[in-house]
This record gives sequence, structure tokens and C-alpha cells, in this order.
Amino acid sequence: MNPNPENELEARIDRELKSLSPLASPPSLAPRIMAAIAEQERAPWYRNGWQAWPLALRASSLVVLLALFAGLCFGGVKLSESKGVTAASGKVSGAFSLLSVAGKTLAALADAAVEVVRHVGTGYVVAAFAVIALAYAACVAFGSFYLRFAFSRR
Amino acid sequence: MTDAQQFESFLRQYQDLVFSTAMRLLANRAEAEDVTQEVFLKAYARFGELEHSPTVAGWLRTVATNLSLNHLTRYRSRWSFFSELFSGRGEDEHEITVDFPAPENVEEEMHAADRKVIVEQALQKLPVAQRVPIVLYHMEGLSYEDIAAKLGVSLGKVKTDIHRGREVLRKRLEPARAALTE
Repeated sequence: MNPNPENELEARIDRELKSLSPLASPPSLAPRIMAAIAEQERAPWYRNGWQAWPLALRASSLVVLLALFAGLCFGGVKLSESKGVTAASGKVSGAFSLLSVAGKTLAALADAAVEVVRHVGTGYVVAAFAVIALAYAACVAFGSFYLRFAFSRR
Repeated sequence: MTDAQQFESFLRQYQDLVFSTAMRLLANRAEAEDVTQEVFLKAYARFGELEHSPTVAGWLRTVATNLSLNHLTRYRSRWSFFSELFSGRGEDEHEITVDFPAPENVEEEMHAADRKVIVEQALQKLPVAQRVPIVLYHMEGLSYEDIAAKLGVSLGKVKTDIHRGREVLRKRLEPARAALTE
């Protein structure tokens, strides 16, 4: 029985690649990395990422951020209760009423389209969609052919 | 020994491993050096945990692999687009014209370097769309499914790219093998 050539090739390539030893890194790499670390160490704490900040600073920054967040939430609630905001929200809802008018218009157009379909007959509509789909497929086919032809001439 | 000296000794112990992982995925020395530096900067931030960890080599390989893949998607995001576009057709055409050793020159090459160098070169000459899954499968031990998830491509594409990559490697390594057995 002949062994599966694909499995045989896989095993051969696997053997070849696993037999490779690690590549020697350039001699300049270790000094370069140590220099980057030294530079990072010399940089002030605020230049480093938050995770690299001293523990006390991380804890205090977290407390400050939580206080800010609580303040924003509290301020938001208080603001929503004020008279000025109520008046502004009235204006915003006025703008939204325009959207509802647009929605009604679209619904009326859709109803008109349904009426047209009923009048013309479903067969014509299906045929029209088929023609559109064929035209789309033809565009894709010509586009692909053009692309392959253009690149094969490079 | 100071912390810096301890880290330098750690760095010298593992730098080849990290550099090789990055180099085989990126096939570009300067980019592999940048990724290696990035890996060791991350390792330095967690040196306390890593120093005595038995899985440190695995951690370094994983971080090097992920950073290399990030590098490929960030700086060479077009590669997957083009590989999808040509789906191997253009690459295979290109492969035939690549100058890999002709049988009569192979013996000299085998004396000058060694088989591993030829394998390494053949691997690095593979197009990125084939090299990356080949390295992840054969050298990093990832499954087809894991590779597809990591690269964000379909399972079928991973299998096809690996198959094509193996075929290209076979074509390149066969003359060397023939010359050796002569």
C-alpha cells in the first residue's frame, strides 16, 4: 500500500523545520536592548504606561478617577433635573419629530411600491430582479477577468 | 549580581530563541530585531515573575509570535488582501522564477554552508502568506484552527497556504537532497 504523499511530505517538512537550530541574534542586539531598558528607567514615571507607575501613584490615580466618575454621574443627574435642561430636551424632541415625519413619508412610499407590484404582477418584478442580479454578476465577472488579465501582463 | 546584570544574563540566554521566532515569521532582520527588543522590554516589566518561571521560554515564544503577527498586520496589512486576491496563483508563478540552487551547484553550496542554512533560506524566501502558517504549524506547534483564528482567515485558506508552502519547499529542497545522495 502506498503511503499518502501529502502525509509523507508533511512529515518530511516537519523533520526539516524542527531540525533547525535557533538563529544567532546579532551581537549588537543585547546592548541595544539594555540601552533601551536604561532609557526607560531614566524616564520620569509619567512618561511610562500606567502599569509601570509606582504602586502609590497607581492607587491614588485610581481613587481620583473613581471620584471624577462619581462626580460626573452625580452632576449628570442634577443637571437633568434643572429647568434649562428640560427646555433644551423639548427642542431636541422637536428635532426628533422631523424624523418621525420622514419615517411616515418612507412608509407611504413603500405602500405605493406594494401597490405598483400588485398592479404590474409578481412575475414582472421577479424578472426585473433577475435582470438586475444577472447584470451584477456580469460586472463581477468582467471585473475579475480584467483584474487577472491586467496582473498577468505585469 | 544587580537586577540589571541578572536581566542581561537572562536576555543573553533567550535572545536567540526570541530572535529566531520573530525572524522566521517576519523574514526581515531589522523588523525581527525591533520585535525582539519589544519582547524583552515586556519581559523586563515582568522580570520578577518570569525569572524563576519554568514556562519562561514558552511565554517568550508566545509574546514574540503575537508581536510579530501584530507587526505583520499593522505594517503589512496589505499582504492578506493580496494573498486573497491572487489566492496563490501569482505566488506560484513567482516561485518558479526564484533562484534556488541548481543541482550542479548544490554540492558546492552544501560544502560552503550546510543543509540547515539552505532550509532556513528556503523558508525565508517563501511568500508571507505561506511562510507564516508554515512556521506556526510546524515550528510553533499550532493547529490549523488556531492558525486560522490567529490570522483571521478561513480554515480552508490556512490548509491551502500550508500545502502550497510545503510544495514550494519540496521543490527547493529536492535538488539539494539529490545532490547529497549522489
